[in-house]
Amino acid sequence: MYQKILLPSYFKKIGWWILIPTTLVGIILFITGVENAPSWMNLHVFAFFNEELLGETRLFTVIQTNITATVVSIFFIIGGYFVGFSKEKNEDEYIAQTRLYALLWAVKVNYILLIISLLFIYGLSFLYVMLYNMFTVLVLFIFRFNFMLFINAKSITGEK
Amino acid sequence: MKNNIKVQRAIANLTQEELAKLVSVSRQTINAMEANKYVPSTVLSLKIARVFQKPVEEIFFLQEED
Repeated sequence: MYQKILLPSYFKKIGWWILIPTTLVGIILFITGVENAPSWMNLHVFAFFNEELLGETRLFTVIQTNITATVVSIFFIIGGYFVGFSKEKNEDEYIAQTRLYALLWAVKVNYILLIISLLFIYGLSFLYVMLYNMFTVLVLFIFRFNFMLFINAKSITGEK
Repeated sequence: MKNNIKVQRAIANLTQEELAKLVSVSRQTINAMEANKYVPSTVLSLKIARVFQKPVEEIFFLQEED
């Protein structure tokens, strides 16, 4: 059946080319710390809302900040979207169902993990939970969907 | 829902791949239906029935729990 909401299948390849580098940069950024991000990424940007720690809150203003994390996050989401929501080369209704089930699974597992985090992680450490949680649905979904496609493809080998 | 696609395929002398091409789905889909892991849409059921030139009810059957 025709799926209007999915991107053409070549977007999946483009998606991997965006997702893998941004994942690596993201990991490096996490290890080295955002405060050690390259200074040439310090730019003046427009902000709807900016609240400095121990500072004043400003609305609709131009601020100077390091945009490395912003750029990495946006490209990660775009890459992840391309990978997860492109048509497969042999797209059909069974794959469409597999995709929906994977999405359902990802949302469920994501919230189970969030409940566990809420129960057992407190204080400033919870900021890390919120940071991860921005991307976990997408990551879990991509992992689950591709895993199920792999299982489906494997289950037919040897049979005529 | 159950089906006898495998039997019908044997009668028509078609492989999974050939049937998949005739109804324009992937081979995985045919395989999953034969293993009763996937219930096809009405459109796909009708297409399969058309390939075997039989009424849908001769290929797909309701089960107790349906």
